Amino acid sequence: MANFEQTGPGKPVLEATRVDKVTPGYRLGHNLRALIVVLLAIVGLIPVFVIVITAFKTRPDAIHVPPKLIFTPSLEGLVFLFTERASASPSRLEELKKAAEEVQLGLVDRIALNAGQEITGPSDYVFRLRNSLIIAGISTLLSVVLAIFSAYAFSRYGVKGKGDLLFFILSTRMLPAVVVTVPLFLMYTQLKLHDTHLGMILLYTVFNLSLAVWLMKGFFDEIPREYEEAALVDGYTRMQAFFKIVLPQAVTGIAATTVFCLIFAWNEYAFALMLTSEKARTAPPSIATMLGIGGIEWTAIAAGSLGFLIPVVIVTFALRNYLLRGVTFGAVRK
Amino acid sequence: MSTTTAKVASHPRQRHLSDRAIINLFVWPTLVLLILVNVFPLFYSLFLSFTNYSAIAGKAPVWIGFKNFANLLNDQQMWKYFATTGKYALVSVGLQTLFGFGLAMLLHEKFKGSGLITTLILIPMMISPVVVGLFWKLMYNPSFGYFNYLIGFPNPIRGPDMLASSFARQGVPGLALYSVVLVDVWMWTPFVMLLVLSGLKAIPDYLYEAAAIDRASSWFQFWRITVPQVAPLLLIAILFRTIEAFKSFDLVMGMTGGGPGDQTELIAVNLYRQAFLGQWQTGRSSALAYIILIIIIAVSNLYILYLNRMRGEA
Amino acid sequence: MATIELQKVEKKFAELHAVKPMDLTIQDGEFVVLLGPSGCGKTTTLRMISGLETVTGGKILLNQRDVTWLHPSQRDIAFVFQFYALYPHISARDNISFPLRAQGESKEEIEKQVKEVSALLRIEHLLNQRPGNLSGGDQQRVALARALVRRPAAFLMDEPLGALDAEFRESMRAEIKRLHIDQHATTVYVTHDQIEAMALGDRIVVMSEAVVQQIGTAAEVYYNPANLFVARFIGSPGMNLVTGHYVDGVVTIPGTQNRFSLPVGWRKPVDETLKESKEIILGFRPEAAQLNNAGKLSGEVYASELQGAFAVLHVNVNSDDIVHIRTDRVINYPIDTVVHFDLNPEMVRFFDPQSEAAIQPEVGA
Repeated sequence: MANFEQTGPGKPVLEATRVDKVTPGYRLGHNLRALIVVLLAIVGLIPVFVIVITAFKTRPDAIHVPPKLIFTPSLEGLVFLFTERASASPSRLEELKKAAEEVQLGLVDRIALNAGQEITGPSDYVFRLRNSLIIAGISTLLSVVLAIFSAYAFSRYGVKGKGDLLFFILSTRMLPAVVVTVPLFLMYTQLKLHDTHLGMILLYTVFNLSLAVWLMKGFFDEIPREYEEAALVDGYTRMQAFFKIVLPQAVTGIAATTVFCLIFAWNEYAFALMLTSEKARTAPPSIATMLGIGGIEWTAIAAGSLGFLIPVVIVTFALRNYLLRGVTFGAVRK
Repeated sequence: MSTTTAKVASHPRQRHLSDRAIINLFVWPTLVLLILVNVFPLFYSLFLSFTNYSAIAGKAPVWIGFKNFANLLNDQQMWKYFATTGKYALVSVGLQTLFGFGLAMLLHEKFKGSGLITTLILIPMMISPVVVGLFWKLMYNPSFGYFNYLIGFPNPIRGPDMLASSFARQGVPGLALYSVVLVDVWMWTPFVMLLVLSGLKAIPDYLYEAAAIDRASSWFQFWRITVPQVAPLLLIAILFRTIEAFKSFDLVMGMTGGGPGDQTELIAVNLYRQAFLGQWQTGRSSALAYIILIIIIAVSNLYILYLNRMRGEA
Repeated sequence: MATIELQKVEKKFAELHAVKPMDLTIQDGEFVVLLGPSGCGKTTTLRMISGLETVTGGKILLNQRDVTWLHPSQRDIAFVFQFYALYPHISARDNISFPLRAQGESKEEIEKQVKEVSALLRIEHLLNQRPGNLSGGDQQRVALARALVRRPAAFLMDEPLGALDAEFRESMRAEIKRLHIDQHATTVYVTHDQIEAMALGDRIVVMSEAVVQQIGTAAEVYYNPANLFVARFIGSPGMNLVTGHYVDGVVTIPGTQNRFSLPVGWRKPVDETLKESKEIILGFRPEAAQLNNAGKLSGEVYASELQGAFAVLHVNVNSDDIVHIRTDRVINYPIDTVVHFDLNPEMVRFFDPQSEAAIQPEVGA
C-alpha cells in the first residue's frame, strides 16, 4: 500500500468518501462484496424465475425429466388457467381436426386440441380473481379509512386509557389465525356469514385494522400540530382542519399503510380456505388446488401465481421508499 | 403525554362537533369491530375448549372441564408436534437472522444498482405463502424439479427427495422439515434484512469516522457501534418471525400437508386437522389453540422484556 | 506539535466545486479558525486535513510530511466532532482511553494519561458514566479529553460548540481557549459564529462559496476587511456599506445632500482603482459614526435598538441604504427624526463595487 500513500488513487475522487475507503485494497473488497450480493440475489430469485418460465411452458415441458431450461414458449398455462376442459374422445378429436381445416381455429381452441382436450367453458379462476379483487379491495379501503380516523384521535387527543387501548389493538395482530378461526367458523355459520363476501371483508378489515392503526398513528404523530392549531385559530372546525390540512400531509403514510394491508388481504390463504367454499372463495386457495385432467396443472398454477403476483410487485416497487418508513414505525420511536 | 385541545371558535350559526363527539365518532367504530370479530370469538373459543363440542355432530356443547387440556398435554403425539414446531422456529428464525443481518450489512454500502437489488430481494416476501409452498414442491420434485438438477443430482434415483426425506431411496429422517425450513428462510430473510437495513441507515456516520481516526478494529466497530444501534430492530424482527413460525400454516400446507408421515406436522397444521378434518373436534382444537396462544404470549413477553431492558440501557 | 500546510487543496463533487484551490500555512502552536456561512467549504477543508474526506487536487503537509493519502489514524491528528461521537454503551473512561489502548500502551501509562487529562477537563467524577447519561457539555468535555489523550500533533475541531446550549457555549469557549494556551497545541477550528472566531483565533480564514476571502488576525479582518463579504460577515451588526457617487475626491450619496470627502491618503489609490468609474462603496462600522448635531452627514431614523450598554440606530441615508450607528447614550430617537453624524476618517474603508474588493489606502493612513 506504500504506493497509494504516496501517489493517491489513479483518477480524481469525485464522491464524498474517506481516504481509507479509496485504497485499492478497500475498493477490491467493496467490489467483491457487491458481487456477492448480486450473486446471492440472482440465486435467491431462481425460484421466481422458475415460476415465470413454467407459466409459459407446455405441460409436457413443465414436467420434463430432467427439467428443461430451453423450451418453446406457449400460452398453454394461461389457457388452462382460464378454461374448463374435458378429455376429448377420439371421434370428437377427429371432428374438431376436420373443422380446423375449414375454419381457422382460435388460439385457445388450438391449444386445447393439441393437448387432446376440448373447451367446455370458462374456469372458475376469473370468478375467484374477481372475489379476490372485491374482498381485498374493499377490506383494505375500510381498514385504512377506519384506521385514519381512530389513529388521528389517538394521536391528537388524550383518549382515556390510550396506552392500553393501543396495546389491545396491537395484540389482536399477535393472535394466530388458527386461534380465531375455529370460533369464527362457528360464529359465521350461525350468522350465515360463512362463504359470503361480507364475512370475508369484515374479517380482513379487522385483521388489518391493528397494523393500520399503529402505522397511521405513527404517521400522524409526525405531522406537527401547529398546522391544525393555526387553522382552528382562523375559525376552522376540528373536522375541517382534519380534512383540509392534516389528511393531505398524511398521504404518503396512507399509501404505505394501504400497501401493507393490500398485500396481506391479497395473499391471505388460511382464512380464505376455512371460511369460504364456493361463492366467496378467493384466488389463493384455488390456485393451490388446480387439478386438471391427469394430475396437477403446473402450468396453470404457474400462470395463475404469476398473474396474482404481478400486481403486488408493481405496487410494492412503486412505493418501496414508503415501505421502509412504514416498517420502522413504533420500533425506533417510543 | 398531555395533549392540548384548542378551543374551537364558537360559531353559533355553524354546527360543529365537540371534541368529545369527535373522539367517540372516530374511535368507537374501530373498537366495536375489533371486539366483535376478535374478542368475542376468543371468549367463545375459551368456553368451547372446556367442552366436547363437535361442529358437525349437531349436538349442544357439553361441559367436560379440563379434560381436553389434560388429554392434549398427556398426548405424546402433541408433544412431538410441539417439538417439531419448536425446532422449526429455532432453526428458521436463526438462519433468517444470520442471513438477514449479513445481507443488510452487504447492502448498506452503496454500489451501483444496490437500490434495485434491494427491491428485487423483497420479492420472495410478497408472494402468497401457499403459492411459494406449491412451487417449491414443484422444484423439490426429484424427477422434474430444478432443485436436484441445480445441486447436481439430475437422476431421481440417485439424488435426494427433499420432501420425502430420502436420499437415493434411503431414508434421511428430518430432511423434509429442513427442506421446509429452507423455504421459510428463503421467504422471510428479506423481512429481517429490511428491518436491519433501516436500523443501519440510522447510525450516524460520525461514530464510524471517530473510529477511523482512532484506528478501531472492524471487530470493535461492529460490536460497539453497529450492533447496539441495530439490536432493538433486530429483536423486533426476531419477535415477529418467531410468532409467525409458531403460526406457520400456509407454507406447510402448500408443500407437504404435514408429511411425509408427520415429519412436517407443525402445530398449526395439526390444529387445522383436528378442527376441520376427520372428526371436527371443535372443543379439543379450541383447547389446543389456547395452549398455542399461551405459548406465543409467553415468548412475546420474554422478548418484549428483553427489548425494554435494551432500550433502558441505551 | 506541528505545522500544517495546504498547497492548492481543492475538492470537487461531480459538478459542485466544494473547495476551490486554496493555500494555507499554519504555524506550530497556532489556533486557526475556518470561518464562514454554511456551505462555504470550511468543514470540507477541515475534513480533508483529517483524512475523512479525499482531496480532488493539491497536497496536505503535516510537519513537512505529505499526508494527503495517509489513513486518518496515521496523520497524528485528533478530531472533535460537533455531536461528540462518543462510543455509546462504553464508559467515559473507556472512551477516553480507547485511542491509547488501540496504540497498545501499557496499562499504567494509560491510567496516568487518563487521569491527567480528565483532571485538566474536570471530569474525573464522570469517568464511570456512559455518554448517554451525561449532559451535552460534559459529553463534549469527554470528547475533548479523548482528543487530548493522544497528544496529537494537531487538533481539528468541527463546530464543537454547535450542539450546546447558549450558556454552555460561552463557558466551553473559554475552556477551549485555556486548553490551547496550556497545551500550546496547533489547532484548526471550524465555526460559522464570527464572535467565536474572533474570540478564539490567532488567525481567521474567512471563506465563502468555496473560496478563501481573507486570512488575517481578528483585528485585521475586523478593521481591514479584504472585500464586501468579509466586511458584512464580520461584526455584529456587519459593516455599513453605502453605495455612493464618486467625483474628484468627493463621495456623494445619491438622492441626498450627503457628501463625504476622501480622507488623507485615499485619493490616489481610489483614483487608480476606479479609473473612469463613478461608483464607489463607502464602508464604516457602527462605532465609526458619531452622532453630532453639527455633523456633516444626515439621515432619518428608521428604528432604534437598545442593546444594554449602548444603542444602535438604524438610519435611512437614502431610499436604498440603512446604516447602523452606535451611540452610547440612551436617548430616545423617534422614528423619522432627522439625525446628523460624522465619520471618523481613520475608520472608514472604501470598496470597488465591480470587484467587491477593498481599496487599500496609502501606507500611513
